[in-house]
Amino acid sequence: MSRITVVSLVVICACAGGDEPRVSTPKDGDGTPHAIVTNYPLEYFAQRIGGGIVQVEFPMAGDGDPAFWQPNADAILRMQSADVILTNGATYEKWIDQVSLPMRRVINTSASFTERYLEVVGTVTHTHGPEGDHSHEGTAFTTWLDPGLAALQAETIAEAFSGRWPANASAFQDNLTALRADLEQLDQDLRSALTAMRGVPLLASHPVYQYLASRYALDLESVTWEPEEMPSERAWRAFRDLLARHPARWMIWEAEPMPEIRARLRELDVRPLMFAPLGNRPTDGDYIAGMNANVRRLGAVAAQ
Amino acid sequence: MIRVQELEFRYRRSDFVLRVAELEIADHERVAIVGPSGSGKTTLLNLFAGISTPDRGTVQTAAERISSMSDSARRRFRVQQIGLVFQEFELLDYLSVLDNILLPYFLSSALRLDDAVRTRARSLAADLEINDKLARNVANLSQGERQRVALCRALLPRPRLVLADEPTGNLDPSNKHRVVDLLLENTQAAGATLVAVTHDTEVAKRFDRVLDMAALQ
Amino acid sequence: MQGSLYLAWRYLRHHWIKSTILVASITLIIFLPLGVRVLILQSARHLTARAEATPLLVGMRGSPLELVLNSLYFGTGSPEALPYSDVDALDSMGLALPIPLYTRFRAQGYPIVGTSLDYFAFRDLTVSRGGMFAMLGECVLGTRVAEQMGLGPGDAVISSPESVFDIAGVYPLKMRVAGVLAFSDSPDDDAIFVDLKTAWVIGGFGHGHQDLAEASAASGVLRRDSTSITANAAVVQYNEIMPDNIASFHFHGDVGSFPVTAIIAVPPDQRSSTILRGRFEESSGAAQIVVPSDVMDELLGTVLTVQTFVLAAVVVLGMGTLATAGLVFGLSLRVRQRELMTMTKIGASPASIRWLVVSEMVVVSAAGVALAFLLTALTASFGPPVIRAVFL
Repeated sequence: MSRITVVSLVVICACAGGDEPRVSTPKDGDGTPHAIVTNYPLEYFAQRIGGGIVQVEFPMAGDGDPAFWQPNADAILRMQSADVILTNGATYEKWIDQVSLPMRRVINTSASFTERYLEVVGTVTHTHGPEGDHSHEGTAFTTWLDPGLAALQAETIAEAFSGRWPANASAFQDNLTALRADLEQLDQDLRSALTAMRGVPLLASHPVYQYLASRYALDLESVTWEPEEMPSERAWRAFRDLLARHPARWMIWEAEPMPEIRARLRELDVRPLMFAPLGNRPTDGDYIAGMNANVRRLGAVAAQ
Repeated sequence: MIRVQELEFRYRRSDFVLRVAELEIADHERVAIVGPSGSGKTTLLNLFAGISTPDRGTVQTAAERISSMSDSARRRFRVQQIGLVFQEFELLDYLSVLDNILLPYFLSSALRLDDAVRTRARSLAADLEINDKLARNVANLSQGERQRVALCRALLPRPRLVLADEPTGNLDPSNKHRVVDLLLENTQAAGATLVAVTHDTEVAKRFDRVLDMAALQ
Repeated sequence: MQGSLYLAWRYLRHHWIKSTILVASITLIIFLPLGVRVLILQSARHLTARAEATPLLVGMRGSPLELVLNSLYFGTGSPEALPYSDVDALDSMGLALPIPLYTRFRAQGYPIVGTSLDYFAFRDLTVSRGGMFAMLGECVLGTRVAEQMGLGPGDAVISSPESVFDIAGVYPLKMRVAGVLAFSDSPDDDAIFVDLKTAWVIGGFGHGHQDLAEASAASGVLRRDSTSITANAAVVQYNEIMPDNIASFHFHGDVGSFPVTAIIAVPPDQRSSTILRGRFEESSGAAQIVVPSDVMDELLGTVLTVQTFVLAAVVVLGMGTLATAGLVFGLSLRVRQRELMTMTKIGASPASIRWLVVSEMVVVSAAGVALAFLLTALTASFGPPVIRAVFL
């Protein structure tokens, strides 16, 4: 589904939701610990760490990209009533400045490594006036694709849960330890799978693999293409120019590109490589299973 | 009932001196005292009632030497034994007819107000034909009715002596005769001695005896 | 004595006009100073209650009274602003929960209070209609604001421009009413609450506009290259935040430099409060920390001094009224001389007469005292809210 379609659907849903009268949602009447997250990886980490103690809620419905989700008032009111609100940070939640949330209950899971944020190269910022203020909208936000950073996010979640529900701190710590072990294993597997690709020029259909590239020293350049949308001829020309200076043979895609794109890529001796970013819930499996599937695909490529 | 001897009373603000050498009024007698204004009629009644005390001589009322009593004893004696009827009625406008009749009982601890007294008050009011006005304010009564209320008040404690100062002075002729009738009948029925001061010779004629102030002094 | 009391009661009842005047005079003599004192004490208590409920207040160095009056009672005028980074700094100290306030703007005379959600839990405020603000551009109204403006959830309220002549400055923002707060008998009933970020939008620190990348925004573009677009003043900026344009709203500059007029600091315990105060007092920075109850006590000390003079005047007036009442009693006795003489003749003792007169005075005085205390009790219960509703 194209990003524009997703955004349009989200906006339409927000418009529809915004017209409904609403009443503040009270907190869970039975006192059940309640955490709300803003993307799937956080949901996975929070559920692993929280065990059955914390009720984790990921309020976005559907299969769109949570990075472009615009929560409506009802979702925000639901967040206001949660005990903990886990955000990804790194400008992931574009809407965070447009909503009202209780300051101390919002936990930025990437706050412990802000110095390691990566800038997105090639984005267009806007300014006002010849010497006016300007905003940077080019921070990469898919931090969970770096298992090391994902572990730091998990630690922040465990710390937040333990601070909020100290009676269960020991259980949270145990769960964190188990999750960390899985992430360390994932890190090793990715490192093994990607060793052969170090220094090899690679392409990505979307600028969402910065943290993956950084961790495993990949020489990665990105375009902004949709798997189901044929790029324009001008875009193909730019792509060929890119290939001329960055002769990649593999191009990482979020989803399988349409056959026409595959065909054109074949002509340019570029093969697609699927690596699901897992921002939203996978159709089957979970974060670890999804990343392991990515590892297997990478391994198959590395073997070639 | 009343015995006066060598009575002398000097007025504070004038040179007039009331002198009565001797005077006797028998029990149950109905006596009218007549005389011109300023001849001392009211003063004489006050002396009989113990309201004033003589400078000389004695006043004996109901066998009590009232002129020698203390103030409190005289008051007690007066409220229990003597009924007073005034020319101007001297009713209290802020009380009802019944409360005016019961007034002596409100004022003095020497009289005890109980249900029997209230019953007797209503009976007396019936005798004097004002029992249908007991709840009314006295200001709404005619002159004759007001004097009858005053008469009830005087008779309620069952006094042995009733002293009336110009009881018909403020009444028209028809009321005058009616009030005199009631005064004479009810004091006789109560077995009380009646002494009334009047300047009305027609009224005086209806009494058993008429005493002239000029003759007394 | 019972008879005297009865006669006294009948006399007073018959002369009810005179009795009423006497009772009213005595009532006033007693009620005026008591009522004034009760009103002042109640009002002072009401004022100080709010100050006592606010443990600490941080603001720019200057007049503590202005800081307290603006932050607690939303008075007109705006203290010099602190940077928002001070809120984060205070939070990181771990000694108090910081609740920022930005009270610079008004809407049709009512203060717009930009704050965080913590404010409502702190002040124990609940929403009686609709819901809490969730999105940028929403507001909740104090109950009196809603009543007086005839607004409810779904309606809109527009912020007032600071100056009619400053067309390039703070511009009106149309805010959607998300809810109405329940009555709290506090200055919160007369305020409009928004998220701090919405207040910053009113102040021009954030805005929403057309997507400059779109062709329709071409007239708003001053300069464009491969990595940046510079907008000019012609770019269409939104003065109402709607679901279909909220995504375009953003802030320019460092949020840490954005202004707040005060920070309510809520320490968890006395020790934290003491440490926090000590840190501010030792620091030579631009911020000060004040204890609102101390500031209000100093202000009320001045007010209560004035109260003493008012009470003295009332007492003098009362003495005069008492003398007049005494004169009325005396004259009344003179007029009743004949009546009292008749009672004496009938057989009343001087003591009975005295009891009668005293009974009248006692009944009148008792009625006056009882009425005065009743009025004082009513004043204590209803006086301050009535005065606030009618006069403020």
